[in-house]
Amino acid sequence: MIKLKLNGVSKAYGATKALSQANLDIEAGEVHVLMGSNGSGKSTLSKIVAGSVKPDSGEILLDGQPITITGPQSARSHGIAIFYQELSLAAHRTVAENISLANLPSRAGILVDQETLEERAQHYVTLFDGVTGDGFSLDAVIQDLRADQRQLVEIMKTLSTEASVIIFDEATSALDRAQVDRFFEILRTLKQQGRSIIFISHRMDEIFAIGDRVTIIRDGKIVGTKRIADTNPAEIITMMVGSHDEAGAKPAGHSAPTGAVASALSVQNLTGRGFKDISFTVRKGEILGFGGLHGQGQSAVLRALFGAIPPTSGKIDLDGKPLDPANPRQTIRHGVAYVSGDRAREGVITGRPILENVMPIHYLRDRMKLAHPVVSAGKALPALQALRTKFAGLGFPISSLSGGNQQKVVIARWLIDRPAVLLLDDPTKGIDLSAKTDLFALIRKLAEEGMGIVLYASEDAELLDNADRILVFNGGSIRRELTGAERTRYNLYQAAYEAA
Amino acid sequence: MTMASAPARSQNRSALKRAFERYPFLPALIILVVLMVLNGWFQPRSLSLSGVTGLIKTYLALMFLAVAQTYVIYAGDIDLSAGAIVSLVNVVIVAVMTALGGDGLSVMAALAVGIATGLACGLVNGLVVAALRLQAIVATFATSIFFTGLALYIQPVAGTPAPAAFWRTYGGRILEIPFVFYAVVAFAILLVVLVRTRLSLRLLAVGDGQQEAYQSGLPVTAIRMGGYALCGVFAALAAFCITGDTASGDPLVGGKMTLFSVAAVVLGGSALAGGYGTVVGSMIGALIIGFINSLVFFVGTPSEWQNLVQGLAILLALMAGVLVGRRARA
Repeated sequence: MIKLKLNGVSKAYGATKALSQANLDIEAGEVHVLMGSNGSGKSTLSKIVAGSVKPDSGEILLDGQPITITGPQSARSHGIAIFYQELSLAAHRTVAENISLANLPSRAGILVDQETLEERAQHYVTLFDGVTGDGFSLDAVIQDLRADQRQLVEIMKTLSTEASVIIFDEATSALDRAQVDRFFEILRTLKQQGRSIIFISHRMDEIFAIGDRVTIIRDGKIVGTKRIADTNPAEIITMMVGSHDEAGAKPAGHSAPTGAVASALSVQNLTGRGFKDISFTVRKGEILGFGGLHGQGQSAVLRALFGAIPPTSGKIDLDGKPLDPANPRQTIRHGVAYVSGDRAREGVITGRPILENVMPIHYLRDRMKLAHPVVSAGKALPALQALRTKFAGLGFPISSLSGGNQQKVVIARWLIDRPAVLLLDDPTKGIDLSAKTDLFALIRKLAEEGMGIVLYASEDAELLDNADRILVFNGGSIRRELTGAERTRYNLYQAAYEAA
Repeated sequence: MTMASAPARSQNRSALKRAFERYPFLPALIILVVLMVLNGWFQPRSLSLSGVTGLIKTYLALMFLAVAQTYVIYAGDIDLSAGAIVSLVNVVIVAVMTALGGDGLSVMAALAVGIATGLACGLVNGLVVAALRLQAIVATFATSIFFTGLALYIQPVAGTPAPAAFWRTYGGRILEIPFVFYAVVAFAILLVVLVRTRLSLRLLAVGDGQQEAYQSGLPVTAIRMGGYALCGVFAALAAFCITGDTASGDPLVGGKMTLFSVAAVVLGGSALAGGYGTVVGSMIGALIIGFINSLVFFVGTPSEWQNLVQGLAILLALMAGVLVGRRARA
């Protein structure tokens, strides 16, 4: 029996189509898995069903009847609930309060019925008896809990809706094995009760442990639906990759440096918040890629190397000399450069002229106390021109430039005094295609001039096209190194989706 | 021996930490006690029954207004029109009482009209901030000018006396106990009830994160409007106290109280960002401001220096509160 049906549902954000003409059937009493790479449209689809995103077109049928979902409250009244990947908990409220937040039991119409509140919460907490960990209780405040405990609370909160369609969007990312096992037992019970579960996860083993059917999404389109019993991981990855799996042939056009070249940066057993035991070497003239799913430690490693978040242990050698990344001022003076994709927050100095946006790193490295505008301009212009930045004048505000040109200004900042290593943290986020091509050509040129470059890109194509070697991150450590002809989308996905 | 005492000490430590986390107004309470001792030191009579009665009579209005402000701040909003609502309700009830003859029944009618006025003002604020989604700080600043304008229209100049039946009751005694103490007890009962309401919990949840609350299925707009409505009603109660204390109508009486109410909320340990706080803390905060003002007077500060010393003392109290809280929670 089909419980929920999506007919031609589409959603676009500006020019990007997050979801186009999606058709999906969810049966009663099944766990239906959604699979797709970063930004393929899984979350958009689930948010549309849960009412927090409005579709542009298409129709949603529940029990055969077309329904309109105007918001989370209305989805809930239709018996649809969602586990939010980014959690929806109130940090200063207790576990019990959070579980029933949307549906507080009341006495005399206005008062909170504390007893019923706790009884109800106890019911859901008991489901996870023995795996909740230390310090977990009904009156524990959310902000005092660990990440896995918070995730459990969000699961309990979702379960407490007793909805007939429940979406779990990466509900297991912070849980340990015992917690996941318990969660799956509960899901099986829900299945027996005839409820429908939409399950999103990146862990292949989990999908095969709990799923009944799997639907693969690629670039906002539904690629196909398979019974889990009739498929295997390789087939699913092939469907996610699609037919356009051009091996990473492009960088072969130039000669990748070989072992004889001196290393620009060498990292041994670097450990810190969000990553552990990271070891790698970047040779001079090489672009080293960091790949994998979002948030597997790639950015954290780059930020640690830059000194923005101090690592707890490990050894870093820059140009053969040990580097202590105590803070960004230190690492900058030693020749480390870092460009963030989050231009607005971590790149441009908003509201200031282009010149002032180019100069600060030079002032810092040169220990300059007085800035002479003519001397400054003389240094800024060549750096900007080398990047073929389009701008009307150095005195114009940075906001007068397009996103791509703003990012060039940010990169130019690092080029007045040559850094030894350039760390690129998803540098092309929100930049149009032609500017991207420009930027990568430039990055390749910098590499050829002898700089060591580390590139993290959330778009897999950028990585495959531009990196000489790719380190695939999963769960905070490096799972696999892809070199030469191994650099294919298939290999990249396989390493990224392996059980962590 | 040392092995055994270490965990015991850390247990004490975490019990202290828990206490400060559960009762964020504890630092304020400590400051209040210190200020009371200092007041008693410099002017022993200030801690006598009549001294305390006088202080409560003067600062009960600010206590109500601080509580009013707290409900809005719970949700991460702010109400810069709270003082203007006090002014408006003040002139409205004086006008109604005078028009109806000034006897007991007319006082009751005027109070009902006053509550309705406060509620209406709160709903207007809720409408512009939560429903129309204007910036709270600017929108309520604008409505404060609007409410003050209404007050000036009803009573262009200060000084219309309130009927004796009203202020004699407020300043008088029932069964040998000053009336304000009954008011404080009623106030406390009201707050105990309100703490247990769904609205109070939902306001805090909205303050913790509007997006999260919305995604949880909470009616965020209605909840924020509820906060403003509650604020309006408590501002009306504050106006009753100020009318009882000053015994007259004044269209500008509440204006300068607005920021004092915000200061009292912060002194009480609530977070301006929302999601965290207590109404009891705000009451204590209002009392701290009251005791600071009287202390500045009792130590004999020359009148031209009083504002400066008051300002410094409030700053010190804020700092002390932050430091004590941080120490205890660390």
